Parts: sequence; C-alpha cells; structure tokens
Amino acid sequence: MSPRDRAAEAEETSPASVNGSASYVYGIVPTDVEVEPGTEGVGQPAGEVRLVPFGQIAALVSDVEVDRPLGRPKDLQAHQRLLDQTAAEVPVLPFRFGAVLTDSDAVVEELLKPYHDQFADALQEVEGRTQYVVNGRYDEQAILREILRENGEAADLRQQIAGLPEDATRNERMRLGEIIEGTIADKREVDTAAVVDELSDVCEQLVVREPAHERDAAHVAALVERGKKAEIEQAVDELTRRWSGRVEVRLLGPMAPYDFVGTS
Amino acid sequence: MTVQPAGRGTPASSGTAGTSLADVIDTILDKGLVIDAFVRVSLVGIEVLTIDSRIVVASVDTYLRFAEAANRLDLSATEKGLPEVVEGVTQARAVSQANEPAGGALEAPSEETDEIQEIAGDVVEREEEPRRARRREDG
Repeated sequence: MSPRDRAAEAEETSPASVNGSASYVYGIVPTDVEVEPGTEGVGQPAGEVRLVPFGQIAALVSDVEVDRPLGRPKDLQAHQRLLDQTAAEVPVLPFRFGAVLTDSDAVVEELLKPYHDQFADALQEVEGRTQYVVNGRYDEQAILREILRENGEAADLRQQIAGLPEDATRNERMRLGEIIEGTIADKREVDTAAVVDELSDVCEQLVVREPAHERDAAHVAALVERGKKAEIEQAVDELTRRWSGRVEVRLLGPMAPYDFVGTS
Repeated sequence: MTVQPAGRGTPASSGTAGTSLADVIDTILDKGLVIDAFVRVSLVGIEVLTIDSRIVVASVDTYLRFAEAANRLDLSATEKGLPEVVEGVTQARAVSQANEPAGGALEAPSEETDEIQEIAGDVVEREEEPRRARRREDG
C-alpha cells in the first residue's frame, strides 16, 4: 500500500471528528513500518495504535478521550512498551509521555508536514541503533563501610552517636549524613567516569543522566549499534565483576532512543 | 550481582526485562521529544496526572537517614569474609527493591499509589509480548 493510500485510509477510519476525542502521539517512524492490528495504547479504554503517514515518515498515534486524565501506571507502561518494542526492530523517534494533538489532521498538518525533513534526518541518525541505560547503585552497607574506613571524621561521628537517641545527637547525625552524602557524590563522579570509559568503545553516543537515587553510582544512557549487543553486555559484565558487592549494576534495554532525540 | 538479562532472551521480549515502574518514569517523563517544542497550535488541554519524575535533592531527611544507616551498621561483619556477607545482603536487597518501585522517593498522587505498587510487580514479571510495530515485509 502506498503512503498516499494509507493516509486516505487513516482519515476515513479516524474518529477525530467525534467530539471529545484527540490523537495521542507516541513517536515517529519511517513510513514503511506497519502496526500489528489490535495493538493497545494509552487511555481507558485503551485506544488502538495506528499510523498517520505523511511523505517518508509516519506518526504512531491512538485516540484518547480528552475528558479522562492520562498518567496511570498502565498508561506509562503502554507508552514505553509500544516504543521499546518498536525500537527493537525499526528506527523510532520517541516522544515524551503526554503528547496530544486535536486529531489526525493536526498530526499531519502541524507535526509531520512542517517537520518532515528534520524527522526524516533524525530517523536516519538512529537507524540501526538502539538505546541502553546502565544504572549502578551502591550497596548501602558496602558504601557506608567504605566511607567509614576512609574518613576519620565520619568514623568518629559514628562512635559519638552510638547507643544515643536521635534527639540527643542531631548535630552529629546531620554532620555524619552530610559527609556520607557528599562522599557518595564524589564517588559517583569517579565511578560514572569509569562507566563512561568502559562503554565509550562500544557505543556511538553517551549521555550522563542525573542520578535517579541518592545511592546511584552511575546513570548513563548509551546509543548502541544493534549488532553490538553482546559488546555492551560484556562491558557491563566487566563493571559488575569489578564492583562485585559494592555496586549493583543493571543494564536496561534495548529501548527507544529517548535520550538522543532532544530538541535542545 | 544483578545484571538484567537485557536481550538475552528473545529480542522482542527483552525491551522491558527487569524494568520497574521507577525506570519507566525516569525515562518517559524525562526524556524524548516534546511536542510543544514543535506544535503550539492545537495541543489539547488534556490533564496529565502529575507523577513527578524523581529528583534527588539532598535534604535533612537524607542526612539523618544516612546517619542512622551508619549507626545500625554492624562493622564486625567486616572481619568475617566480607565479600560473602555483602553479596548475601545485596541479593536480598535486589529482590526487595524490585517490589518497591520508587525506592521511597517517588512522589505520586496518593490515590495512584496503590495501583503503582500493584502494577510495579507486574512490570518486573512481564513476559514476552508480540512485537507491535515492524517494518513491512516488502519495505
């Protein structure tokens, strides 16, 4: 089916004219992608995901009721699942959760048509590549031991609060907690650099994310060639071995390239 | 240690292996294209529930919690085979965190919280799903 036929079909079947319904946009894909019939999107009841094509690109959309709030865990998961499963096979530009336009016409006229070339270029950029996230988290006991071993003041403060109630040792506790927090931040910087160093050879681009947790050792997004899955797994295995007992390392993905499509 | 078996199963199922709701939130509320950077005309005023992405800000609470954790720490454990001890602890922790989607730092509307906790378990256990969108065979 040619893109033009598909566009005509999308218009005919779109209930955009029905009052109270709008088009939720998940992302942009090349126009030669197809969506499995019955794929459920966000909303309650879940809208069926379809393509709104224009030229060489198409938007993944589904209808949502405008009078129902979005953002239930199920909605978040539907958004991510669709994009990640799509990204496992084809290039996709993921939108942040919550992008809604009035109808299919608006998706074409206001999104696909004016930005067609930018989106097509960006799809070329991510063609054959997929995102992983490496997250390292300090084991609480291990990192506290490490800090108390290395920092005499922290060890002293710990002695001072031992066996005493919190109210009586508030200042000491505040100081001890501050040292721990600050030391973790310093260690995070060093260990993030180690992750970046370990991953840089196997990926095309890297983004250091903000920590997602106070004990995060590293939080890094990597854009990786599809064929290099084994290499990134190996790199993460190496980190896991190196930090055994100290940092729990997780490799998330493959996922859509959320961190590599920024407009800024 | 816990390396999520990313992609070590079948390719189609690997996308969300071991992903918690907290991981989902970190990604899709924080990253990705923002439509109103492109489109300002007919964005619909649909209410998006405010599940704020987690922002780590050191606070008094953080300090006091760290201090208490240090206070509770059994330093004598260091003298008997540290690696084994730590490993056991870490594995137990990995399990408990899987059921604790936000690590305590997620701000969510209270009526949503139960559902989040309910579903976070599901995310972790989610089985293979059929692929949803793929290239046409003739493409």
